[in-house]
Amino acid sequence: MKKLAITLVVNDTEHELLVAPNRTLAQVLREDLGLTGTKQGCQVGDCGSCTVLLDDEPVNSCLVLAAQVTGRRVRTIEGVADGNRLHPIQEAMVEHGAIQCGFCSPGMILSAKSLLEKNPDPSNGDIRQALSGNLCRCTGYQKIVEAVADAAQKMGRA
Amino acid sequence: MLLPRFEYHRPARLDEALAILAQHQGQAAVLAGGTDLLVGMKHKLMKPAHVVGLEALEGFGQIQEQEGMLLLGPMLTASALAGEPGVRARATALALGAGVLGSPQVRNRATVGGNVCNARPAADMCVPLLALGATALLQSAHGAREVPLSEFFLGPGRTVRTPGELLCGVKLPAGGPGVGSGYQKLGLRQALEIALVNVAAFVALEDDGQTVKTARVALGAVAPTPILSPGAEAALTGQVISEELIRQAAQAAAADARPIDDHRGSADFRRQEVLVLTRRALQQAWQAARQD
Ligand SMILES: Cc1cc2nc3c(=O)[nH]c(=O)nc-3n(C[C@H](O)[C@H](O)[C@H](O)COP(=O)(O)OP(=O)(O)OC[C@H]3O[C@@H](n4cnc5c(N)ncnc54)[C@H](O)[C@@H]3O)c2cc1C
Repeated sequence: MKKLAITLVVNDTEHELLVAPNRTLAQVLREDLGLTGTKQGCQVGDCGSCTVLLDDEPVNSCLVLAAQVTGRRVRTIEGVADGNRLHPIQEAMVEHGAIQCGFCSPGMILSAKSLLEKNPDPSNGDIRQALSGNLCRCTGYQKIVEAVADAAQKMGRA
Repeated sequence: MLLPRFEYHRPARLDEALAILAQHQGQAAVLAGGTDLLVGMKHKLMKPAHVVGLEALEGFGQIQEQEGMLLLGPMLTASALAGEPGVRARATALALGAGVLGSPQVRNRATVGGNVCNARPAADMCVPLLALGATALLQSAHGAREVPLSEFFLGPGRTVRTPGELLCGVKLPAGGPGVGSGYQKLGLRQALEIALVNVAAFVALEDDGQTVKTARVALGAVAPTPILSPGAEAALTGQVISEELIRQAAQAAAADARPIDDHRGSADFRRQEVLVLTRRALQQAWQAARQD
């Protein structure tokens, strides 16, 4: 299996990597770059734990080959806070008790971030739709939806 | 879950891609968005020695309109198709189907070419494309051919495409005044759901605004492939459209369905749902045809 030289811009930093073709973006982020905030759940696209933003759009990084996305921009949960200052979505998730076991949170937050960038004033339905590819087994979703709505309001006011 | 080992090819030109497919006949898998192929490879259902990624091919993600036809590049994603105003207006059923496929994350990767070549009986883009009268544009190192989608699907996951062929586009008549289409999907959940039954309908009216010139109803998840309902087409064509006519067409569609019992639903229930969903899809199509 011939390794491939690829470039990824992850959280605004360019990385040149040598990867085996059968390695997924999720694996390369976690294992080569040490960005373990991206979780691996079902590994077949159902659960959304491995959600990252690829050129600002959410994708399941378990179903993307690293080699397929050479040259493109990736944002992971590690690139959401501003230094030690949490992003308003992260803050709202904490305040609303929307994080329980925390396994779905990175993916949820990235899906929510992508939504709010396109639609700063989403309806309840818009939020549920945007989070429909992220499964949570703890919260029953209500607190997460409330957190995203609250974050949208606060970001609108800022 | 690890992927099996393979060599990766990333052709930048179509002739290069076709040459690779010709060289590795049957040993090479085409990779578009990967939402079917990579899942299958992780489950070890297939183990291609070569994988040919289409992401670097130029023009494969484009929408063109010429001489009343829409030409869709095979790498257009479900998200792109669902959001594109031209597709929403001129191929409404496809935009609607693409918009309810999987989840946002899946839609951002899932391509129309992948959906068509994967050929599942309930596929959310195949059923609308069939109703819209789409044609698959195939190309190999030896030449090109066009196959109407009504002759493209052979069975679950099986199509007339040979291993050396690439789907280079999907062509369909662009809707306009007096033309409309609709799409209805029934699932047990609102998202991340393969349809229990899905129906797409297409209606083109004569200049009088009420006589049906052409109509097609495509049914999903009620046969080994997406199918057209000849009964519905016959019931509608040449008639003055009305709620009553739509009811008759829906009955004909239900009679054409060949559903089976499985863990997701019974055959009887599916047939009943074909009736309901066909009626709704035709109403949607009629309304859209009246609006333009
Ligand atoms: C979690 C999840 C949910 C899903 N939900 C739905 C759903 O609700 N509805 C639905 O219809 N589907 C669903 N799917 C299936 C899948 O997303 C779609 O079928 C999608 O359109 C496949 O496109 P792709 O680009 O990802 O295909 P790929 O996986 O890249 O390819 C699929 C097949 O087509 C072949 N292929 C792809 N492009 C070409 C080409 N241009 N020429 C020749 N061969 C080609 C590949 O070799 C492969 O055999 C779901 C998948 C997942 C993982």
